[in-house]
Amino acid sequence: MPGKAAMPKKLRFAIGAGLMVAAIAYLIVTAVRNTAEYYMTVGEVKAQQAALDGQMLRVAGRVVPGTIAWNPATLTLAFGIAQPPAQDAAASGLRPVAITTAAAVFHVICRGQPKPDMFAPGRDVIVEGRLDRDGTIEARQVLTSCPSKYAPKQPGAAQ
Amino acid sequence: MPLIGQLALALALILAAYSIIANVIGARRSIPTLLASARHAIWAYCAMVTVAVAALLVSLLRSDFSLEYVASYTSSSLPTFYKITALWGGQQGSLLLWTWLLSLFTAVAAFQNRRRNPEIAPYALATLAVVAIFFLGMLNFVTRPFDMLAAVAPDGQDLNPLLQNYWMAIHPPSLYTGYVSASVPFAFATGALIAGRLDDSWIRSTRRWAIFSWFFLTLGNLFGARWAYEVLGWGGYWAWDPVENAAFMPWLVMTAYLHSVMIQERKDMLKVWNLALIGMAFGLTLFGTFITRSGVISSVHSFTQSGLGPYFLTFLIAVVALYAALLIWRLPKLRSPAEFESYLSREAAFLFNNLILVGIAFAVFWGTLFPVLSEAVRGVKITVGPPFFDKVNAPLALGLIFLMGFGPLIAWRRSSLDSLAKTFASPALFGLVTGVCAFVAGLREWYVLAALSLGAFVLGTIVVEFRRGVGARRHLVRESAPAALINLVAKNNRRYGGYIIHLGVVMAFIGIVASSFFRTEIKKSVHEGEFFQVGPYSLQYLGLETTETPHVETSRARIEVRRDGKPIAMMLPAKLFFKRNQQPATAVAIRSTPAADLYVVLAGMDDQTGLVTFQVFLTPLVFWLWAGGLVMAFGTVIAMWPNVRERAAIAASLRAAAETPVVDEPLRRRA
Repeated sequence: MPGKAAMPKKLRFAIGAGLMVAAIAYLIVTAVRNTAEYYMTVGEVKAQQAALDGQMLRVAGRVVPGTIAWNPATLTLAFGIAQPPAQDAAASGLRPVAITTAAAVFHVICRGQPKPDMFAPGRDVIVEGRLDRDGTIEARQVLTSCPSKYAPKQPGAAQ
Repeated sequence: MPLIGQLALALALILAAYSIIANVIGARRSIPTLLASARHAIWAYCAMVTVAVAALLVSLLRSDFSLEYVASYTSSSLPTFYKITALWGGQQGSLLLWTWLLSLFTAVAAFQNRRRNPEIAPYALATLAVVAIFFLGMLNFVTRPFDMLAAVAPDGQDLNPLLQNYWMAIHPPSLYTGYVSASVPFAFATGALIAGRLDDSWIRSTRRWAIFSWFFLTLGNLFGARWAYEVLGWGGYWAWDPVENAAFMPWLVMTAYLHSVMIQERKDMLKVWNLALIGMAFGLTLFGTFITRSGVISSVHSFTQSGLGPYFLTFLIAVVALYAALLIWRLPKLRSPAEFESYLSREAAFLFNNLILVGIAFAVFWGTLFPVLSEAVRGVKITVGPPFFDKVNAPLALGLIFLMGFGPLIAWRRSSLDSLAKTFASPALFGLVTGVCAFVAGLREWYVLAALSLGAFVLGTIVVEFRRGVGARRHLVRESAPAALINLVAKNNRRYGGYIIHLGVVMAFIGIVASSFFRTEIKKSVHEGEFFQVGPYSLQYLGLETTETPHVETSRARIEVRRDGKPIAMMLPAKLFFKRNQQPATAVAIRSTPAADLYVVLAGMDDQTGLVTFQVFLTPLVFWLWAGGLVMAFGTVIAMWPNVRERAAIAASLRAAAETPVVDEPLRRRA
């Protein structure tokens, strides 16, 4: 242990380091406050739609086949998303799976972005945008899952 | 082939397990023959994993579709090059590659330490083997690369189109090399804790491993960013995706570690901190593999559960807990006699550099885990996107850049204000003038002005250091300036390699700042023959060509780029269509110059109207990010280069360590 005379020096450095740590913590806290977005599934958004009106959201859902409209000239992509069936979500994840029963729950419009390469009917996507009163999501961004290198077994996925 | 591979993996597991027992007993009872036997077991286990890798490679090249792995990640029409890269294109293969690298590094470490570090090395090698056992266990029992299909598949499902790109050949192996080699210093730290040899011999013995790891982590991150830039087609290179963060965090902590060990070597301080840092770095490499495979955090890269998450998490927690316990157990022996004298000292600058680096790593960690944490605490999943990371890290990056100029030039222990003024007058002036010039030129964003000024300041300090060193040599040794420069770097490669790395960091930083602030984006739908303007460039769309191979169909647009009426380039952005998995992909056209990158995406084609839509990004100075990255790599090679004098010093310190039980390293001044 260092002698008593050395303590103030140690203290001085502890204060400096403490201030540094506090500054970083402050940065993190304020940044979280300013940038947080709800991350929800289609089902969760549906359940609390009224409360989320006009909020920035990230919504995870599955593209409903037969609802996709893509205009390559104006780069406008419109489609419907639905909640993936529960057991299926974990098992098959991002592989295109034909949904026949689920109806589109929310209508998504994304303007001015190229259609993501991985975008396809039945794919899981994350839509980042604002929810309108009529259940339309004005998307700033549509993220498709990159069919991961680490995807589980995909029996007969490739046709 | 599959049988050979499977058998080799089983033998590797047994050999690795034996090496642990032999190493631990050999070290405890001081039985040299047992230690030698452990070494041989390690080499044999490395050979076995190599056989397994070769077996999988042969199966991939032969398109043996009786193997599930081969059928899942390749197809008969896949080019040979990608059949090779498919080795790490899937989960089992990438874990096998990981294990193989680990076995290679363990074998090399065993060879290096066959006569060195008699106390630490056996435990370090045993630690590495414990890690290997985890991975070999996964490969043998959980996710087996040599599993057969019930029936031979007629053809494979092909490699994901996004992975059919030449970056695939170098990005994952670089990153894995960086990840895995970090386990060597970690293992030596563990060995030092177990053996109670808590001087800096574990640091010195693994210094080159740490730089090696950092080198590949740097390249891995850089290649990953470049890959995203060229392939994903959104004009950017970094999106703060969890998978990217997973690769970035170990890099940050390793950077901190490489700096703070210098303080321990010089001042015998921060012992606990260094041990903690290397533990963190290793833990983060495991954490990285955990989050990319567990599906705990949703990422653009992988949404799915692969089932490996719980295993990785358990192993990660066990490793962290055990290591922390070891560290706490040894705390009484880790007290340092020295302490910080003054804020105006190099060790203080390094301390703050460490705090910032670890702070950034923590912020990234926090942001990455935020959805999980918020769900656990408040019941709602809240994400923080790229704006969070930008907001937190931007000011911290400025602080780091400032310290990068300040730290290396200030004296150890304490520095007087007078000498500070003398040392930093010209670099500070240079920084100030640069800032003022930028302001006069019309830049108003305070962040960009600060970044430019600080970048110039660091540049100034580097120039001052090189001039001082060259001047001294010319004076003392009477050399010509070029000879003095070469000898200066050659004789002090660690230090001047470091300065070159700093130069690269400044270049990359300026590239990042400029490309983040001044990127312009234009979308345009045009008919054949039409012109459109992007910044100073005039682009003319000349038409679409479609070509076809059995594997892929390509629609390529031709765009002539003119500047001031003169044609300067032909750009060929394309849309690809991979037939086997019915998947489109984008091939971006990039024209890169030091001033700006012109980046053209073929965003949409309307077959009926013949209208083609382009998305064009004009990104200034992004060139310097890549150039800076290469300069960093170059500087790292210099810093890693074997240095005769340093080698002698290590040998001397090891001899001294062997003679006295607890050594207080005498401070050695770098010449």
